[in-house]
Amino acid sequence: MSRLSFQSLILTLQKFWADRGCMLETPMDLEVGAGTMHPSTFLRVLGPEPWKAGYVQPSRRPADGRYGDNPFRLGKHYQFQVILKPSPLDVQELYLDSLRAIGLDLTRHDIRFEEDNWESPTLGAWGVGWQILLDGMEITQFTYFQQAGGIDLSPISAEITYGLERLTMFLSRQSSVYDIEWGGGFGYGPVRQQDEREFSKYYFEVADIGLHWKLLDAYEGEARRCLDEKLVLPAYEWTLKCSHMFNTLDARGAVSVTERVAVIKRVRDLAVRCAAQYLESREALGFPLLQQVSNV
Amino acid sequence: MSEYFFELLTEEIPASMLDAALASIHTSLEKTILEMGASTPAAGIKVTATPRRILFFLSNLPEKQADHVDTVKGPPKKAAYDADGKPTKALEGFLKKNNASIDDVLTDGDYIQVKRNVTGRAAKEILAERVPQIIEGLRWPKMMRWGAGEYSYIRPIHSVISVFDSAHLPIRIFGVESGTKTVGHRTLAPDWINVTSYGEYQTKLELARVVIDVVRRRHVMAERALVLAKQVQGTPSDDATIWAQWQYLTEYPGLVRAEFRDDYLALPEEVLVTVMRVHQKQLPIRDANGRLSNSFIAVLDNEADPDGNAAYGNSFVTNARFADAKFFYDVDRKTPLAERIDQLSHLQFHEKLGNYADKTRRIETIARAICADLGTYDADAVTAAHLCKSDLVTEMVKEFTELQGKVGGIYAREEKLSDGVWQAIYDHYLPVNLDDALPRALSGAVVSLADKIDTLVGFFRIGAKPTGSKDPFALRRAAQGVVQILLNRDKREVKIGIERLIDLGMLAHDQPANGALKADLLAFFAERVRTLLETSAYNFAYDEVAATMEGGWASSLTDLVNRTDAIKVMRDQPNFLKILDSAKRIANITAGHDSTTVDRSKLEHDSERRLNELADTVGEQISELIAARHYLDALRSFAALAPELESFFDDVMVNVEDEAVRRNRMSLLRKVGNSVSSIADVTKIVVDRREYRE
Repeated sequence: MSRLSFQSLILTLQKFWADRGCMLETPMDLEVGAGTMHPSTFLRVLGPEPWKAGYVQPSRRPADGRYGDNPFRLGKHYQFQVILKPSPLDVQELYLDSLRAIGLDLTRHDIRFEEDNWESPTLGAWGVGWQILLDGMEITQFTYFQQAGGIDLSPISAEITYGLERLTMFLSRQSSVYDIEWGGGFGYGPVRQQDEREFSKYYFEVADIGLHWKLLDAYEGEARRCLDEKLVLPAYEWTLKCSHMFNTLDARGAVSVTERVAVIKRVRDLAVRCAAQYLESREALGFPLLQQVSNV
Repeated sequence: MSEYFFELLTEEIPASMLDAALASIHTSLEKTILEMGASTPAAGIKVTATPRRILFFLSNLPEKQADHVDTVKGPPKKAAYDADGKPTKALEGFLKKNNASIDDVLTDGDYIQVKRNVTGRAAKEILAERVPQIIEGLRWPKMMRWGAGEYSYIRPIHSVISVFDSAHLPIRIFGVESGTKTVGHRTLAPDWINVTSYGEYQTKLELARVVIDVVRRRHVMAERALVLAKQVQGTPSDDATIWAQWQYLTEYPGLVRAEFRDDYLALPEEVLVTVMRVHQKQLPIRDANGRLSNSFIAVLDNEADPDGNAAYGNSFVTNARFADAKFFYDVDRKTPLAERIDQLSHLQFHEKLGNYADKTRRIETIARAICADLGTYDADAVTAAHLCKSDLVTEMVKEFTELQGKVGGIYAREEKLSDGVWQAIYDHYLPVNLDDALPRALSGAVVSLADKIDTLVGFFRIGAKPTGSKDPFALRRAAQGVVQILLNRDKREVKIGIERLIDLGMLAHDQPANGALKADLLAFFAERVRTLLETSAYNFAYDEVAATMEGGWASSLTDLVNRTDAIKVMRDQPNFLKILDSAKRIANITAGHDSTTVDRSKLEHDSERRLNELADTVGEQISELIAARHYLDALRSFAALAPELESFFDDVMVNVEDEAVRRNRMSLLRKVGNSVSSIADVTKIVVDRREYRE
C-alpha cells in the first residue's frame, strides 16, 4: 500500500462517488457538529425527491477538544459524507468497493458491520445502522435514516460517514493524527495543531458565557422570524447557529442538566419546524428534483 | 420422508437479537411440523444463523397430512333455529358453505357443528404458506425501513432460498422471490452459489468461507482463544457476554491477539476491562496470577490475520481509547471527591426529587439512622454516604457510566481514605442483579440500603411507581437489592426490617405520617420478598412463603426465612396433618372471633378444662420457643396438642345457644390457634393427603 495522504483519500472518495452518480457538494459554510447537519443531508432526506451527494464536512465538537495533546481526538475533524436516496439494495457492496478504491485488499483485512443506531435529539432525527470496523477500528458510520425533524421518511436514505483523519492515520500507519500528511508535503500537525490548541482553550476556558447565551437567544429569535416569513433555508442556518452556541456552552460547562433538556428542546423545535416547512416549500415548487437533468 | 431447506440472506443483524429470533422460529416450526401430521416435532429441526443469514433445515417430514375428519363450528344454536324450530338463514348459509345437510348437525354443545372430511394438505403446500408468515412475523426489538420504505424488518432482505426435496419451492418474503442461490463470505468469497439441497449448501458454503453453525463458530473461537492466550503464558478471561456476541459477529470465525501500551496498565483495572469488554468487545488476557496483562484477544471475520492488519488495528484503537481514559483519569484526580459535592447540586436526580446534592443529604440522613438502629456508629458508612455520588461529576463516569460507584471507590482508595470507606463507595450500587455479589462489608450495605430506599420512597412519593412492564427508574431492581441485602444468609448483620427502613426513608423525605405511601411500599416490597424466596436459592414453595408471610415479614426477613425453613421441614413430617387439621378446624369455627380470654368458670366439660390447661402450659412453652426462634420445636409442641383438641371436638359442642358459653369456647380455641400464628398461617399450606398415608 502506497503512503496515503489526507487529501489523496478525499480525492479518491470524491472520484469514487462522483463516478457512481453522486453530485459533489461543498462543505456547509457554518459551524456544524456533523455532516448530517448540512442541508444536503438533513433537508434533502425529506420528501420524495431523489438525492445522491458526497462532500467533505469539517465537523466541530467543542467538547471533544484535547488541546492538541491527544493523538486521536480532535475538537474539529473532517468527515466525508455520502447520502444516497433512496438507499440502493447494493449499498454495502458500493461501500466496500470504495474501500477497495482506496487501495485496501479486503481479503487481507477484517471488515465488520456492527449494530450502531444513531439518534440526534436536537434534530428530532434517528436512524438504524452500523459502525463499520476495519481491523477492529471504527472508520465509518452507516445509517438508514428513519426520521428527520420528527417526520417519518419515505423513501429511506442511506448515509455513509467516513472519518477521514482516522482512516488516513490507519492507512498510513501513523500513531498520531498530527503525523499524517495533508497533501503536497504539508503535515496535518503543522497545519492544524495550533487550531486545536487555541480552540480547546477557547471553548473550555475563555468563551464568554453570557455572550453565548445572548447569541443563542438572538439566533433563535431570528430563526423564528425567518420561519414566520416562510424563509426556511435562512431559518435552518440560524438553527445551526443555535446548535453551535449550545455545544460551546456545553463544553464551557455552562449548561446544567435542567437547562440542557430545555435548550435541546428549543433547538429541536426549530429543526422540526424547518423540516415541516422545507417539505411544504418543496411541494409548492412541485418537487423539482423529481426531474433530474439526466440519469447517470 | 421429505426435507425442506430455507435461507434468508439479509444485511448484518444485531448480534444480541439472533438467539431470541432463532428460538421463536424454532417454536413456530414445531407447530408447523405438528400441523403436517408428524408425531414428534423436535427431531428434524435445525435452526441456526450467521450475522447475515437465518437458515433452517427440516427433515423427516411427512409428505402430506393424513386425510381426516374435522369439526366445523357454526352459529350458536339460539340463532340457528327460529321460534318454530325451523332452520334460520344463518344455519342454512352455514350448511351450504360446508356442503352439509341438516342431518349432519351434531347435537352436543351450544353451537351448531358439523363433521367434514378433509383431504390432507401436502407438506410443501403448508410450508409455502407458513414459512413466509413465520419469517415476516418475527418480532424484532428495533425495526427499520429501507429503499422505497414499503417494508419494515430488522435489516434489508437480499435473497431467499426455499428448497423442498431438491426442488425449488417458490415463496416470497417481503417482496423478495425465493430461488436456490446465495452468496459466500462478504469479502473472501462474494460470488453467487447455486444449491439444491442442504448437504450441498453446507459443502459449498464451507468452501465459500462461511461456517453456518453457530455452535461450531463458537467452538473454533474458544479453542483459538486458549491457544492465543497460552502464547503469552496467560488465560483468556471467562466472559459469557463476549462469547454471546462474538458467535454472531463473524461468518468465518477467527481471533487475533493484540497488545496495548503497557504503561496503560497503571490505569485502574476496572477501566481497562470495561473499555476492552464493553466498548471494544475484546477479551482481556490474565497471567498465571490472575493479573491483567497488556495482551487481549479480538474477534476477526477471517481465519487468520496474514499481514498483521487486525492486530495493528485493534492495538491502535485500544491505545486510543486508553489515551482518552488516561486523560480523564489525570484530570479527575486533580479534584478530590469531597470537593465535588457542590457540583452535585448542578446534577439533577429527578425534576421533582431535586439534584444529587439533595439526594446525598438524604442518603446521609438515612445511613445515620440505620446505624443508630443497628446500635453502632459506623463512621465509614457515614463518610461513604457523603461521598458516594461524587463520582457522577467525574469525567471518567461521564464517559463510562457503567463504572459509577466503582470509579468513586477507586478514587477514594487513591486519596488514601480507609478501606471501609472506599469499599463502601465502590460497592454501594450492589446488588444490581440476582446473581451479583452483595456489598462486602456492613458499611457498604448501609449505604446501598440508604440509597435504594431513598430512591424508592422518592419515586413512590411522586407517583412514579412501576406499572406493568414499565419501570423506567428500575424500582423493582432497587427493591430487590434491598431484599437481597436484608436476606444475606452469610452475614446477618444488617438487622433492620423493611418496615423500619421505609419509615426512615419517609422521614428523610418529610413524609413521616403518609400512611398510603407506606402501604404502597409495603405491598411493593411484599411482592419482591415473595418472588425472591420462591425463585432464588431458597427454593421455598409459594404456599410456604404465603403461610409464613401471614405471620409477619416486614420486621425481619431473616426471621421470615427461619420460620419458612421450619414450615418446610415440618410439612414433610407425618404429624403435619395434625397441625394443619387442628389449625383449619379452629380457623373455620372461630372465623371473625378475636378474643383469647377464657373464663374458667364457664368451662363445663373435662375435655375443655384439660385443653385450657394445656393451652396455658404448652402455650407458654411455645411462646418461649418462638422467642428463642426455635420454630420447628414450637410447631412440634403445637402438634402435641392435637389429641386433646380431638377429644375437645368429640366431647364439646362449640355452637351452643348460650352465647356466653359459645364465645368462651371460641376464645379457648383462638388461644390454642394463636399460639403459632406468629410463625405462620398454616392453613395456607396446600397438602396432597395421599403423601401422608403410612
